[in-house]
Amino acid sequence: MVDSGDQEGEHTSVRELCANGACMKTTEVEAKLDEGNIQEAESSLREGLSLNFEEARALLGRLEYQRGNVEGALRVFDGIDLQAAIQRLQPSVSEKPPSKKGRSRSDTQISVSQHAASLVLEAIYLKAKSLQKLGRLTDAANECKSVLDAVERIFQQGIPDVQVDNRLQETVSQAVELLPELWTQAGCYQDAISAYRRALLSQWNLDNDCCARIQKRFAVFLLHGGVDAGPPSLASQVDGSYVPKNNLEEAILLLMILMRKYHLGKIKWDPAVMEHLMFALSLCSQTSVLAKQLEEVMPGVFLRFDRWNALALCYSAVGQDDTALNLLRKSLHKHERPDDLMALLLAAKICSEDCHLAAEGVGYAQRVIRNVQGKDEHLKGVGLRILGLCLGKQAKVCSSDYERSRLQSEALKCLDGAIVFEHNNPDLIFDLGVQYAEQRNLTAAMRYAKQFIDATGGSLLKGWRLLALVLSAQQRFAEAEVVTDAALDETTKWEQGPILRLKAKLKIAQSLHTDAIETFRYLLALVQAQRKSFGPLRSLSQIEDDKVNEFEVWHGLANLYSSLSHWKDVEICLGKARELKKYSAEMLHTEGVMYEGRGQIQEALHAYLNALLVEPSNVTCKILVGALFAKMGPKGLPVARSLLSDALRLEPTNRKAWYYLGVVHRDDGRVADAADCFQAASMLEESDPVESFSSIV
Amino acid sequence: MSNSASAAAVAPSTSSSVSKAQTAYQSLSSIIPSIPAPSQNPAFSLLHDSEISSQVSAYLRQPDSGAGDDNLCRWLYDTFQTTDPDLQLVVIRFLPIVAGVYLCRVTLRKPLAGFEAVLLALYAHETASRAGNSLTVNVPDLSHPSVYHESKAPAKNNATDLNLAVISPSLEPHGTVRSTRRPRIVSVALELYYSKIWQMPAASKIEFCEFCEAWAGQDGEIYSEGENGDRTKEEKEKEKAGKEGRVPLPWELLQPVLRILGHCLMGTKKNEELFEAASSACRSLYARSLHDINPNAILATGSLLRLSKLAVIAEKEIDHTEIAMNTVISL
Repeated sequence: MVDSGDQEGEHTSVRELCANGACMKTTEVEAKLDEGNIQEAESSLREGLSLNFEEARALLGRLEYQRGNVEGALRVFDGIDLQAAIQRLQPSVSEKPPSKKGRSRSDTQISVSQHAASLVLEAIYLKAKSLQKLGRLTDAANECKSVLDAVERIFQQGIPDVQVDNRLQETVSQAVELLPELWTQAGCYQDAISAYRRALLSQWNLDNDCCARIQKRFAVFLLHGGVDAGPPSLASQVDGSYVPKNNLEEAILLLMILMRKYHLGKIKWDPAVMEHLMFALSLCSQTSVLAKQLEEVMPGVFLRFDRWNALALCYSAVGQDDTALNLLRKSLHKHERPDDLMALLLAAKICSEDCHLAAEGVGYAQRVIRNVQGKDEHLKGVGLRILGLCLGKQAKVCSSDYERSRLQSEALKCLDGAIVFEHNNPDLIFDLGVQYAEQRNLTAAMRYAKQFIDATGGSLLKGWRLLALVLSAQQRFAEAEVVTDAALDETTKWEQGPILRLKAKLKIAQSLHTDAIETFRYLLALVQAQRKSFGPLRSLSQIEDDKVNEFEVWHGLANLYSSLSHWKDVEICLGKARELKKYSAEMLHTEGVMYEGRGQIQEALHAYLNALLVEPSNVTCKILVGALFAKMGPKGLPVARSLLSDALRLEPTNRKAWYYLGVVHRDDGRVADAADCFQAASMLEESDPVESFSSIV
Repeated sequence: MSNSASAAAVAPSTSSSVSKAQTAYQSLSSIIPSIPAPSQNPAFSLLHDSEISSQVSAYLRQPDSGAGDDNLCRWLYDTFQTTDPDLQLVVIRFLPIVAGVYLCRVTLRKPLAGFEAVLLALYAHETASRAGNSLTVNVPDLSHPSVYHESKAPAKNNATDLNLAVISPSLEPHGTVRSTRRPRIVSVALELYYSKIWQMPAASKIEFCEFCEAWAGQDGEIYSEGENGDRTKEEKEKEKAGKEGRVPLPWELLQPVLRILGHCLMGTKKNEELFEAASSACRSLYARSLHDINPNAILATGSLLRLSKLAVIAEKEIDHTEIAMNTVISL
């Protein structure tokens, strides 16, 4: 509603009433109105301006309305039989669309009827506005609706947009815009929805701004009104056109149309439209669509680093971290906004997930910590946590032992520092658990794993897995199994895949091969059930999304048979696995083991090398190739040594790498070095988990 | 403005639903004897009477509430099972407190079977009414013509499922709350709440906003527009104490939470107190999403935050449905 102060100023400024070329001061009429003499006021108007009854009433009503006397205006309007006036204005059945001959006649007729219509419709409209101001919202809505009904009856062919009377068009537009608002205020939401759709789907000849306002309001209503609108009626649907089938779809469509109108220069920029769209699309996790919308916005609307940051969020949310990081690098450039905390945090987080970017991430995280002052101090713990993660990741690709242990201890220091600020953040507790586990401080890792399960109420599977793996690293397989069983109790069948595979591995570790095979059999049954319940026709992405990963099951089974030297069965399982995923380093690795087991050394070597081509940093295959070369006699030893050292650089806690390196040293005659390596291997043997800790993250 | 809406709620009730409501009222008063006497329309009082709601809320917030033998939880469960829509609304009205207290207490290893029974009942109801189906959104592409716009370039390919988004995956029945399914069960119950939200009294929504702040576990005050430098230490301390209750907020739980907050901020009925509570919840959740560095959540909460600020400005916009106030009125 309009600010009442303003209105007051406007009210007093009505000075003259004009019609038929004559004008008269309002003071006299107003005095009569104030005395409650509507009839006298009316007759003085009729005399002074030579008006008929309805015209005089309409003028009086408007005068009262403008003076802010809405009750008076209602009394004036109640005196006119508006419905009868509309009846008179309706074209009779005989009056067909004008022929070419009678053009001049029908032209004047149209303008006459338009003028009369404008008068009547404005009167009804003002009645609706008066009722609105009195809080009689349903009545107001009904009056306003009758304006639109009347327009549809008077102009059955739609309003002729060439000759339309300005004042008439204004009233129509205002009524179209007001009606859904009135129904909304009255709490009649279904009526509001029909009114909005009527406004937008019928021809009212609305100008761009008015139409845009209605579209925006409807979009907001659909997004936030909390009322289910249902799809638009069949009548409004054109063949082959997109029909939104729920609130979100309709709202997004309207907002996108508004964005396009802005791009075409039809309407002004409205920041709220973009924000609503951002909310709606991020709610649907459709941030790639949002990114496209952001990219289409003309330069000059957003500050460019704001846009880059928003785009980075969009791309990162759909897993396109490379693109996101490139955008963040631009926005964090020293000439842009290098200290933006959100951008720094996101960049650091992306870097913390890739060991080759970790060093860059360390830089971002340090900038976060430097910049969290004053009101942003609450982010200090986050900065420390990410710094710890980046350092931990960086340690993995270190070339020297010294550097690695330095980074590792710093990583722990940061995470420990972060917990002071974020003592109730389970993610941080988990990070600490993994970090300690990877550094083989199993007691501490265990403590954090338990703490994590407590803090999340066991709602996250990764907590259970971490605890089971830590126990398995301590060679407490039976206890680890108890944990997996507890985890199975807390999950539904579709999520049990990873836990069951872990359980099978625990069985294998205890040499309970029959039990392990039983577990795999259950997993295969789950795969079958999954296929049945989700249908056979599924896209590749859906197969990847499967909760129970069939490839992993076959591959795990192949590994199991391989450990039993049942090579025939290994081959069958690998065949099944290959149907699901053609190139996989893990599978080639198992294949190599199979060939090696059968004594086909050349084939085994091929398989391992292929695996390394698929995944150059595959540590297990590096070690196996190294081991093969070590067995080939003195000529192979230097190659073996370099491969094994490389493997140890990637995974310094790999027991097998240490063992074979020991073998190489021994065969080369470096007995002291060999002894060191063997010692390292035997120490590590006692702390190997059945799956690598990094597989959980 | 709520008069007409409440009038609509008063009007229709058949005799059987009245008697069901009376039974519900009586059994509630046997649990909480101090609740005020029933009105002519007990279901309406149960939903809207602020005295009743505050007593029920206080009961639900008691430190040892929500156990398997909690009579009020049993009442909520039984009342929901009457399948009377008006009475079901009453139960849904208290979901913010049930879910709020429940999630905050999960880690305390207290017996919560009472709360869980209520949540599972809501979950089962939503599962049945959706027939277990997922909720999807087919994100429009403007190159296809639609009911609201024309497109010059006719669509070449009919790749309609190109941008199909699943907002809520398909539902399977659950007889117990397994801990890994807990966020899912609560989020489905909240989806049910959202679908009835236009019938919910403001007090229920305000309670929800307050729990959002507790769940976020972050003080978002720094993201408010106003001056915040001169807050006293006591206030800060008080706030810190109130921030206990941080819970994991996976995206599946955050989605319905944000939809509800969107409604509280920009819904059809303006309510100053609710707006403030929702803004405050948004600020806390924005701070939390920064802590989690969750890009989707940062985008969604960030836009809500900016929209709440824009809403304050928008109130001063000109009203285009007002007629031009001329000094000369002509015919």
